[in-house]
Amino acid sequence: MADDVVDVLIVGAGASGAAVAWSLAETRMRIVCLEQGGWMNPAEYPSNGRDWETRAAKEMQVSPNLRKRPADYPINDDNSPIAILNFNAVGGSTILYSAHFPRFHPSDFRVRSLDGVADDWPIDYATLEPFFAQNDNNIGVAGLAGDPAIPAHQPPLPHIPMGRMGETMGRGFNKLGWHWWPSDSAIITRPHNGRGQCLNLGPCNAGCAQGAKSSADIAYWPMNERAGVELRTHCRVREITVDEGDMATGVTYFDADGNERHQRAEVVVVACNGVGTPRLLLNSTSARFPNGLANRSGLVGRNLMLHPWGMVAGCFDEPLGSNFGPQGCCILSQEFYETDASRGFVRGYNMQITRGGPPVGTARGGMAQGTIPWGADHHDAFDRLFGRNIHLGICCEDLPEEHNRVTLDPELTDSNGIPSPKISYTLSENSRRMLDHGLARGAEAMEAAGAWKVQKAPAPIRMAGWHLLGTARMGTDPERSVVNEWGRSHDVRNLFIVDGSVFVTSGGVNPTTTIQAVALYIADSMKQRLANLFD
Amino acid sequence: MIGTDNPLSDDQRRILAIVLDLIVPASEDGQRPSAADVDVLGYIRETESHTLDGLRAELDQLNAEAFESQGEAFASLDPATRQAFVDAVREREPQFMRTLAMQTVACYYRDDRVLEAIGVGARPPFPQGYEVPSGDLSLLEPVRRRGLIYREA
Repeated sequence: MADDVVDVLIVGAGASGAAVAWSLAETRMRIVCLEQGGWMNPAEYPSNGRDWETRAAKEMQVSPNLRKRPADYPINDDNSPIAILNFNAVGGSTILYSAHFPRFHPSDFRVRSLDGVADDWPIDYATLEPFFAQNDNNIGVAGLAGDPAIPAHQPPLPHIPMGRMGETMGRGFNKLGWHWWPSDSAIITRPHNGRGQCLNLGPCNAGCAQGAKSSADIAYWPMNERAGVELRTHCRVREITVDEGDMATGVTYFDADGNERHQRAEVVVVACNGVGTPRLLLNSTSARFPNGLANRSGLVGRNLMLHPWGMVAGCFDEPLGSNFGPQGCCILSQEFYETDASRGFVRGYNMQITRGGPPVGTARGGMAQGTIPWGADHHDAFDRLFGRNIHLGICCEDLPEEHNRVTLDPELTDSNGIPSPKISYTLSENSRRMLDHGLARGAEAMEAAGAWKVQKAPAPIRMAGWHLLGTARMGTDPERSVVNEWGRSHDVRNLFIVDGSVFVTSGGVNPTTTIQAVALYIADSMKQRLANLFD
Repeated sequence: MIGTDNPLSDDQRRILAIVLDLIVPASEDGQRPSAADVDVLGYIRETESHTLDGLRAELDQLNAEAFESQGEAFASLDPATRQAFVDAVREREPQFMRTLAMQTVACYYRDDRVLEAIGVGARPPFPQGYEVPSGDLSLLEPVRRRGLIYREA
């Protein structure tokens, strides 16, 4: 019965689509979610085998252009120093994310008022706070209460183990008098909702074989399906259809067999991330919306923000066991998160301490950099690095600029012939200065921690475009935003956008916790207004 | 004739083994094998078979140059001369040798003997996992004492 009318049609089963489905399920409305990928099987993830590093680099490649799984669509990111990364499956990019889960700060929602740049959000931290907490409990988040860098909150599970490497960096930060704290992590450190706790496998970023990482496929979808949400996999949406009254009527999509189908819906919710969502809207042209659906502001696809990323590596004399533990989660420092004009830039960045390299990664990296030689000295050089190296990532807030945008590529298409997204992005001078500052401070932290060797990678790191934000921004002014303050399109009253596209600014942290909090907030707003949702 | 089950000739195999041993020789304590003693060729066939043609060509080239300048097969040369030949190839064809070295360590560091020797155990990460110390939270005292650092908004 693909052509009957469902109450709510969600496009995308990733972080935000999963959260919205969970929240709306209690209404007992008929909810269908279309996902272009399929279910992942943790029993097939690379960490089940000794060859996990080789397999991770191929099958779980971060770039869809290189990975080329059937569910992937190509993205033209030639005109960007930062490549666009994602994953297409039930769970979306959370399949590969590090699960580093720091929240936005209150100041992130008031950047115009506080720092005179970009725009304030139409909502604030206090509005989202209950949804952060709800999401933490739903999926299972580990952390340590009391972090003085953010408002008080109580993570439901004990923090991720810091290990000796976390202690080493902590001592370094203490020597400098800088903030640091065990990271909030979307990884369960105790059994939670029937899932087993983290085993410190290491390669979270290639999928968690244990199921301890709170990816949306594991943390949300089993609950959603039990609650009656219908999830259709391998269904790729081509366009959202509308009627003469500017109301969405449903979507046209290709099913698993490549057949074109239409699904009618009372409400359409788009949850395809900051690149997939504008792509879908721009592909949804009609007489009423010749420039793309919900795009009368002209802002669909504009203001793309990517979090320019820097990386500093440090090598230490003593064995730290740094190759063990959740790859992307340990401790963080938010010493330089809030604006300080004396630094030469506005806004700030998060320092994310990540684990050292695994065996093959260490050997390959060392040989590429000339620190691990051929010949008899190979083993000693390897031993000096392996388990003794620490990485420090610098996640810079990216301010919105209209020329940074997603458009449709005139030639490139996916396997269904749907035009692919094209990225046009340049690094701003503010971001450049912030990166330089972060790299210098990162090196300072490594030296303070006792590193005998410190290396700064050229920045921005190209393969770091995970955080896709801002391309269908939220606001109260239809001329200056795509959706209103509770996620409804200004132009199409039964169309909602719930992913990172609606972000007004990017903050300087991994955004998934905030994306899911915003999605839960929008779903809650919809429930509060069910009687007059389209007014 | 080289078939899919036998991608290198005997001569090519001998030369490859010598080169692999130059990249990663056995450790002095005997705990870590030479790269010549792990199945690098199998790894290349399994994961990067498109590089086999280049590999064969370079190995043949090494042998041809040995004959031309030394009058004997590469495998018959003394170790110092072999090393000099390979160094020359590294200089002349850095991309080829870099690729071979990367393939070599990718295979080497998944070998059971090597994984055991470097302390991660001859097993995949799952299901056993690893122990990681929780960490000393008293180190956070200076951070706590400093108080709140975020801006109210």
